Amino acid sequence: MKKPGALLLTIVISMILAAQVAAGDWKSIKIATEGAYPPWNFIDSSGNLAGFEIDLANDLCKRMNVDCEIVTTKWSGIINGLIKGQYDAIMAGMSITEARKKLVRFSRSYADTPVRFVVRKDNPAANFSSELERLTLDDISPAEQAAIDAIVKAFKGKVIGVQVATTHAKFADQFLGDHAEIRIYDFQHTIDLELYQWRLDALIGGVAYWIPMIKSEQGKDYKMVGPYMTGGPFGKGVGAAVRKKDKDLADMFSRAIEETIKDGTCKKLATKWFTFDASAQE
Amino acid sequence: MSVIIDYIPLILKGMLLTVELALLSLLIAMVLGIAGALAKLSKSPIARSVAGIYTTIIRGIPDLVLMTILFFGGQIIVNDIGDKLGWEYIDISPFMAGTVTLGFIFGAYFAETFRGGILAVSRGEIEAGIAFGMTPIQVFLRITLPAMVRHALPGFGNNWLVLTKTTALVSVIGLQDMLYNANIAGGSTRKPFTFLCAVAILYLVITGVSNFGLRWLDKRYSVGVRKA
Repeated sequence: MKKPGALLLTIVISMILAAQVAAGDWKSIKIATEGAYPPWNFIDSSGNLAGFEIDLANDLCKRMNVDCEIVTTKWSGIINGLIKGQYDAIMAGMSITEARKKLVRFSRSYADTPVRFVVRKDNPAANFSSELERLTLDDISPAEQAAIDAIVKAFKGKVIGVQVATTHAKFADQFLGDHAEIRIYDFQHTIDLELYQWRLDALIGGVAYWIPMIKSEQGKDYKMVGPYMTGGPFGKGVGAAVRKKDKDLADMFSRAIEETIKDGTCKKLATKWFTFDASAQE
Repeated sequence: MSVIIDYIPLILKGMLLTVELALLSLLIAMVLGIAGALAKLSKSPIARSVAGIYTTIIRGIPDLVLMTILFFGGQIIVNDIGDKLGWEYIDISPFMAGTVTLGFIFGAYFAETFRGGILAVSRGEIEAGIAFGMTPIQVFLRITLPAMVRHALPGFGNNWLVLTKTTALVSVIGLQDMLYNANIAGGSTRKPFTFLCAVAILYLVITGVSNFGLRWLDKRYSVGVRKA
């Protein structure tokens, strides 16, 4: 049994230690991830962090010649924690978007995965199909506008789930906010459960999360529909985020990621975890 | 079932944090509670109104709102002070923030509980103490405090149980308590429901053990009192 006094002392000491956030030469860095978004990052059955981003982070740290510690934190406060200095970088399936660039600095992308709608196989929306297979939301052409209109029509009045503060939520708000009921959740797995229990008609989900899911026993009742969406609110791939002032660290990440893409490491890890190549291109 | 076994160490780590957090906040809440109760009963109008404002505001705002305000707002205040004094960045650890916030919130509830307990101590006992020539502090420590415990215990037990369960809110400020870890395990295995059931049982274990302890305390402090 710890004495309360001893505990208090530990807290004070840890506070003092935490205050000494080193700046500059980057001998060791702390990387934050969510730990609840398989296969990007999660806790495996032996209690350790695992996933594409964990493997990649360890590889990048070797290339950058720094000691890395990977910590987990709640997704909804993950950028706040970075800015506050609780850790130095984020690798948590975070897409590089204009909105986030106002708060943090990104490395180049290491993964690039489109987004689709996910429905239960027995939901009427499961029959939805799009004219376009790929939909890039940057400069919207007439054909792309028609595809967006088709999406709006298909999901009009439906209940759609998204995770809080994600590009999925941003997209839902921007394109479906006036037409469908958007529900926002803290964790991805809560949305999956809601969809399964008929409280949602559809969710908006990353292909890299859903392809392995649908192949598994748990995902057999789900189906992905609609075009493969990228760009616009979905941003330009997934990258590591650092504080704005740490340009040197962002550059270190970018150089290391570039190497893993050139020598095939990134592709190998992506294929291992996602079952398909979700790595970013050169 | 086997999936739970794999994640037991993670959940237990969260449980330890939950218990530490609850006990430490209890300590802070009791100190603030006693101070609050004495202030509310004091002759000084300033002390009375400060304590009154404290209990009214804290008890009138949802815990989740207060916790978010105190954690993120507290950081901003510390940063501002640090800037003025030219310190390096000081991080308030989520554990400390969670403990202080919970202690601060529940101090208000304990203040009311202790105030009720003190009022229930018979006037005659206190007057007898004064007649013996004890100082007010001696009266409080030797008579009021031991005698009020019996009256305050039921309310104290309630507050403690609510406090224990309120620790589940700390995951909003990034603390990896039992519920947070259950969510992580649920997300990693994509079996959230299984882990929520597991933590429900563990919360029940904590509160069950507490009830046991509370009953023992009740017996001890009711010595010499006839049961109705």
